[in-house]
Amino acid sequence: MALPAQDRWDLVDAITRRTVITGAYRRNLGDVLGDLTVKPLTGIPVAVAVLYAFWSIFCSFAGDLLTDGFMVKAFDNRWLPWLQGVWPDPASIHYFLFVGDPLAGNCFEAFGVLTSGLFVAIGVVLPAIFIFYLMMAVLEDSGYLPRLAVLTDTVFHRIGLHGYAIVPAILGLGCNVPAVTGIRVLETRKQRFIMMTLLAIFIPCGAQLGVMLEVIPDTMGWVMLFLIIGFGVFGFLLDRIIPGSNPEILVDVPAYHWPLWENVAKKLMNRTKSFLKDAVPFVLLGVLIVNLLYLVGVIDALAVLLEPVFVAWFGVPKETVGPLIAAFLRKDLAVAQLSTIAMTPYQMITAVVLVSIYFPCVATFVVMLQEGWRELLAAVGVLMVTVFVYGGLMHAIGILMGVA
Amino acid sequence: MKKLSELEYGESGVVREICVSQHELNCLGIRVKKQVKMVTRQPIKGPVVVVVDETEIAMGLDIAEGIIIETGTGRS
Amino acid sequence: MAKSYKTVLMMGNPNVGKSALFNRLTGGDAVVSNYPGTTVDYTEGVLIVSGQEYEVIDAPGTYSLEARDAAEGVAVRLLAENPDAAVLIVLDATRVERGLYLVLEVIERGYPVIIALNMIDAARERQIAVDFRMLQKILGAPVVPTSAVSGEGVRDLAEMIRKAQRVDIAKVRARADGQFDEPETGCGLCGGC
Repeated sequence: MALPAQDRWDLVDAITRRTVITGAYRRNLGDVLGDLTVKPLTGIPVAVAVLYAFWSIFCSFAGDLLTDGFMVKAFDNRWLPWLQGVWPDPASIHYFLFVGDPLAGNCFEAFGVLTSGLFVAIGVVLPAIFIFYLMMAVLEDSGYLPRLAVLTDTVFHRIGLHGYAIVPAILGLGCNVPAVTGIRVLETRKQRFIMMTLLAIFIPCGAQLGVMLEVIPDTMGWVMLFLIIGFGVFGFLLDRIIPGSNPEILVDVPAYHWPLWENVAKKLMNRTKSFLKDAVPFVLLGVLIVNLLYLVGVIDALAVLLEPVFVAWFGVPKETVGPLIAAFLRKDLAVAQLSTIAMTPYQMITAVVLVSIYFPCVATFVVMLQEGWRELLAAVGVLMVTVFVYGGLMHAIGILMGVA
Repeated sequence: MKKLSELEYGESGVVREICVSQHELNCLGIRVKKQVKMVTRQPIKGPVVVVVDETEIAMGLDIAEGIIIETGTGRS
Repeated sequence: MAKSYKTVLMMGNPNVGKSALFNRLTGGDAVVSNYPGTTVDYTEGVLIVSGQEYEVIDAPGTYSLEARDAAEGVAVRLLAENPDAAVLIVLDATRVERGLYLVLEVIERGYPVIIALNMIDAARERQIAVDFRMLQKILGAPVVPTSAVSGEGVRDLAEMIRKAQRVDIAKVRARADGQFDEPETGCGLCGGC
C-alpha cells in the first residue's frame, strides 16, 4: 500500500509531534563560523585563503620539503649511481629497459623501470598525493565543501552545472577515478555528461600535479591557467550544444565538525595504500611499455608520421609523441618524460597542457566506461575535437604573443 | 507575502505556498507552514541559503523565487 | 520467533552517518566525510552477531524513493534488487522528521525495517529529545539510539537486526493518532523492553 506524498508528510508530522521535543537551541561557534564562511562578503575571502593555503602547503611540503629535500638526493645521488654500477652490461636490452641511459645524471633522464619509474612513483608522486590526501581528508570532514559549492555556484551555473560540481572537481584533483563516480551527485544526464567530459579533459590529477611541481615549477601556473580557461570555455560551449535540463543547486549545508583524527588517518591510509597497490605498478609498467615501443621503433615511426600535426599545428617537437603514448597509462609519467625533451618554455607549457587534456588515463577510462559506453564515446569525441582545437589555439596565442 | 528570494538578511517567515517542484524541497524540510530564515543571498543571481529547523539549505535563485513566504506572523 | 534476514540494506538520508555506522558494524572501510553525497556507490560487508551471518550493504544516501540524482538511483535500485533484505534505516536524531518520510516509504513497500537513531549524542547536545520508545511503539519496529562516532548503541543495534519487522502502514497511522490497541502482538513486537 502506498500513500500519496502529502498524506505521508502528514503522518510524519503526526509521529514527530508525539516523539520529538526540541529545546531552546543555542548557536555555537561552529554555527557562527558556518554563517561567516557562506556569506559572500566574508566567505569569498575565506575561500580564497583556504584554497591558497591548500596550494602552498601542497607545494612546500610535497615539492620542496619531501621531494627536493630528500627524495631527489636519495634517488639521484645514491640509487641511480649504485644501480648504474651494479647492473651488468650497459649495452644490453635489459639494461635499457630497467636502468635506461647509462650516462644519465638524474632519475628523470635515465628512463628505466627501476630508475625513472620508481623515482616518479615513490620519489615524486607519493609525497605529493600523501600531502594532498591529508588536506583533502581534513577539508572533507570539516564540512567546508558544501559551503565552497554555494560560493562557486554562480560560476558553475554559467556552464550548465551547479556549485555541487565542485565536489567531484576537487576529488578529481586528487584522482580522476573516484571523481568520475562522484559525478553521480549531479541530477541530470546532461549535467553528468558535461562534468564527466570536463573532468576527463581539464582536471589534472594529484600525481600529475606532483610531477609538474617538480619539473616545471615556474610555468606550472600557466598550465593551470590554460586548463581553467579551457574548463570554462568548453563547459560554456557544451552547455549550449547538449540538450537536457540544468537543475539548480539544492543541497544541505551540514554544520561544521572537528575532523575526527582517526577517520582522517584511516582515509589517508586507505588512499595511500591503494596508490601503492594500483598506481605504482602502472607507472613501472608504463615505463616498460614505452621503452619496448622505443626498442621496436614504433615511437619513432609515429613521431615521423605525426610530425606535421605536432610541429605545424601544436607547435611542439615531434619527440613529444612518446610522452603522449605514456600519458594514456599514467599522466605523471608522461609529464616526467616531457621534462627530458629540449623545448622552449612555451612549448613545454603547450606540451604539458596537451598531455593533460589528451585522453584520460586508462584507469579513468575504465570507470567512465562503467558509467555508460555511450557517454564514454561521446566524451572521447568531444575530447578529440578539444585537443585539436585547443592545442592549435594555444599555438596561435603563442605566435601572437611572440613566444611560440 | 513575498518570495523567499526577497527576504532580507536575517528575516524570517512562514512558507505559504511552493510553486516549483515540491518533492525535493519537502525532503529537505521546506514545507508549507515551516518557518524559514534567510542567511545569505549570493551576488550575481547566485543561490540563497536559508535555515529551516536549524539546518542550513542552499538553493538556486529560481527555486527560491518559487516559494511564497508570509512574513510578520511567525514567532520572530 | 522473529524471522532472520540474511541481507541487511542500510538506507537513509545523505550525511546521517550511514557509512560510519556501516564501518562500526562490519569493520569495513567505507569512506566517511561530512558532506552529503560522499557515498555514491554501494559497499558490502559482513556482520556476524549471535552466530548469524549478515551481508550488510551500505547504500548511497537518499531523501526518498523517487531518485533525484544518479547516486540516489543506486540506492533505489539496491532496494528493488534485494526484495528479501531487511532494511536498516539510519535517521539523524537531530532531523528525525526528514528521515521518517523514507522510513514510511520503505514500510509501504513491505520491507522489514529496523531504525537506527544515529547522531544521538549530537541531538543531546542540541537539546533535542527523541522519545525512541514511543517512536518504536508507533512504528511497530525496533528503534535503537546510536552514535557511530562514539560507538554508543552499535552493539544493541547489531543484536536487534534479527527483530526487523514488516509493518502495516494503516496501523502506524492509527497509532500516530493515539490508538494503541494491539494485544495480539504485545510488546514482543519490537523487543525494546
